[in-house]
Amino acid sequence: MKAVEIAAKVRSGELSASSVVQSSLALIAATDPKVNAFTAVLAERAIKRAGQIDKHTRRAELSLAGVPFAVKNLFDIAGLPTLAGSKIERDAAPASRDALLVRRMEAAGAILVGALNMDEYAYGFTTENSHYGPTRNPHDLTRISGGSSGGSGAAVAAGQVPITLGSDTNGSIRVPSSLCGVFGLKPTYGRLPRLGSYPFVASLDHLGPFARSVADLAFAYDAMQGPAPDDPACAQRPPEPTRELLGGRTDGLRIAVLGGWFREMAMPEALAAVDAVAQALGTTRLVELHDVDRARAAAFLITNAESSTLHLADLKTRAQDFEPLSRDRFLAGALLPAAWIVQAQRVRHAFARQLARAFETVDVLLAPATPCVAPVIGTEWLEINGQRLPARASMGLLTQPISCIGLPVVAVPLWGCNPAAPHLPIGVQVIAAPWREDLALRVAAELEAQGLATAPVAALN
Amino acid sequence: MSLTPAQIEAMVQANAAALGLRIAVEHKPGVIAFVTLAAAMAERVMGQELGVEDESGAVFVPVSPRGPLA
Repeated sequence: MKAVEIAAKVRSGELSASSVVQSSLALIAATDPKVNAFTAVLAERAIKRAGQIDKHTRRAELSLAGVPFAVKNLFDIAGLPTLAGSKIERDAAPASRDALLVRRMEAAGAILVGALNMDEYAYGFTTENSHYGPTRNPHDLTRISGGSSGGSGAAVAAGQVPITLGSDTNGSIRVPSSLCGVFGLKPTYGRLPRLGSYPFVASLDHLGPFARSVADLAFAYDAMQGPAPDDPACAQRPPEPTRELLGGRTDGLRIAVLGGWFREMAMPEALAAVDAVAQALGTTRLVELHDVDRARAAAFLITNAESSTLHLADLKTRAQDFEPLSRDRFLAGALLPAAWIVQAQRVRHAFARQLARAFETVDVLLAPATPCVAPVIGTEWLEINGQRLPARASMGLLTQPISCIGLPVVAVPLWGCNPAAPHLPIGVQVIAAPWREDLALRVAAELEAQGLATAPVAALN
Repeated sequence: MSLTPAQIEAMVQANAAALGLRIAVEHKPGVIAFVTLAAAMAERVMGQELGVEDESGAVFVPVSPRGPLA
């Protein structure tokens, strides 16, 4: 069941939150040995909280009453060390309170049931975590779930919970959404507060939800909006609710497909997905941007340097304890000249202004979320645009230029775009101007209403 | 202009020493490979012409004290 249906039934008394949580916990127990999405299951806490929701005097007012959810394990959960996918943070003191977004979700009636696997310190696109094992794609267990929020994408695709939270610095919500076949929202940079989450790259980090429907995304997103004065990156805007706007018309919107880099670095299945979305929305318009590769390079450099500096003390004293897949990259990032990083920040600024000009003539832009469907776990190389490229880093080729400038994006899942693997999904990015999450959600809802974008629960064969 | 392998290696050694960061022998090839990749990215970034209006994206946000001000 989707979150909106669960909440309606719990509010009306047709279902108890306790029974919903018990079902979710049973499904996690039955399926997670195959998927490996969870690193902690909070059965006792969730059952206690569900009992409180069932007795809540204002249950009928809770938008997410009784909805189970889980969070990437970089969100603080009271009583647990915040792992951020690492071995090193197992030694950290337990968090004293939940992350702000967890508290906001629970204030709306949702119930936290667990913490989810991820790439170590969010530095990856595959969730092939050497410490906690790979999270497997529920639609094909031999394949990656994407990352770094791989557990968040997989848990929703497996039907373990209807909503999860993740983070996106370079694509870490949109890539697993694409590969696991679920909807994901990366809001505008600065929209949702990050208090109580383990940072990766403060200049680029976003938090956001995953779900199996656009309405579920919007309900979760609306519950989490609002200023947070203690978070310097939070824009301190009042909530701008979206869930009532989903049914709005899209035929008046100016929609275009991103050309150039966004088509050159996409395999045929990714192009087929974008073209199907464009056709469904009745657009043939193409927008060509320049310097997209420079924006991607800027995101790469900022990420590398900023994240390495964050972990420099541990890199000096216990480099052997880092994830082998990202350790050398972290070490390298500490050694880059300052001028490269400052210039990268300036390039980012210039690219953001270029997109602002583009949004004077369009409302929504479309691009693939990943260059291809989910590769098999352990894949080292991909052939894209005639180039042999490292597979893991290449999963973010099409998302990095967009998150680099903080635009809001809804990733929508399509199916059957790769004739050789029709069981695998691939996502399309629905991109809007800053602070216009409502437009991206509205277009995503239209694609869902047409039956083009869907997020079925995986059979786990 | 691209950095040569020798220049990359010299940069790795010098910057690691400046930071007090020891690069173990078994990590050195991987570190050099990633710095080489970063250098290729930097070439693209450094090649973009920018003006004074293209300020840094890393804008500082002042932090106000809690409670009412005098």
